[in-house]
Amino acid sequence: MAENHIDETLRALVDIDQVIHAPARLTVLTYLYVVESADFRFLKNVTGLTWGNLSSHVSKLEEAGYVAVEKEFRGKKPHTMLHLTDEGRAAFRAYKQSMQQVLDDLPD
Amino acid sequence: MSQHISLREAEQKVFASAFADGLWDIMIGCVFLMFAVAPFLSRSLGDFWSSAVFVPFWALAYLATWVIRKYVVRPRVGVVRFGPWRKARLTRFSIAMLAVFTIAFVLGIFSALRFGTVPAWVHTASFSLIVLSTFSLTATFLRFTWLYIYGALIALSPLVGEWLYLHSSAPHHGYPVTFGVSTGVPLFVGLAKLIHLVHSHPISNHESHPEEAAGG
Repeated sequence: MAENHIDETLRALVDIDQVIHAPARLTVLTYLYVVESADFRFLKNVTGLTWGNLSSHVSKLEEAGYVAVEKEFRGKKPHTMLHLTDEGRAAFRAYKQSMQQVLDDLPD
Repeated sequence: MSQHISLREAEQKVFASAFADGLWDIMIGCVFLMFAVAPFLSRSLGDFWSSAVFVPFWALAYLATWVIRKYVVRPRVGVVRFGPWRKARLTRFSIAMLAVFTIAFVLGIFSALRFGTVPAWVHTASFSLIVLSTFSLTATFLRFTWLYIYGALIALSPLVGEWLYLHSSAPHHGYPVTFGVSTGVPLFVGLAKLIHLVHSHPISNHESHPEEAAGG
């Protein structure tokens, strides 16, 4: 019973979105949350991730439906822009809210 | 967690990074360079053409910054489009700038119509005030603190120039010296920023670029 009580108390921690919770993905999502869209190179520069890391984290966010990848052409060259989907934006807001709630309730 | 995470600060960092290429500094330097060079041209071209000749120079400078941004900066720093919060802020900024330029335009017409009756120091002070207002507004709205310094330097240029003219008979009201210094600063800073960016963001062909793989 005591264990159930603990689980219930820390329910918010258990429910935290693990896709967002990884530091690298959280950084990518934070930057995408504050802009309309950005390309890979810009995200690589602001996050400090390597191409490989960035690519794998973006793939995970894309699989979760949080990030959409749009191909466009600049002249004859293909150019990829990334933006948060509505689902991604809502998930980020929910994550922010639940983290705030968890941290606010912790004793000093 | 020792540091407070602010989404507003993250957005500001992204916005500032889009202007870290030094091209706006170079453009500001080019615009006000006119005041340093035009006095030398006025003897051969006359007052009007010595200033008017700078319009194609500005157009060329703008074209050069556009080309550099497209072919040198973007391939290194990437592309970002700003969200609705920034767009709304830029709209408010445009309205504020429009108000300042309207006041400047009205003052300019008034000053031209009564050129003989208004003391020269009024023209100089008005110019300094408008420059200072424009740069301060831009610095405040965009949170680019270095623009306060550029604004102060350029606003002080005609005042210091007149002082040099009165006290040491500096040629051309001291403008070539004072504007030379005040435009030299943004030009130098801009070039330094651009060179630093080119060196710190090399385009490497050895890196595996994820764009080909992303999105199918």
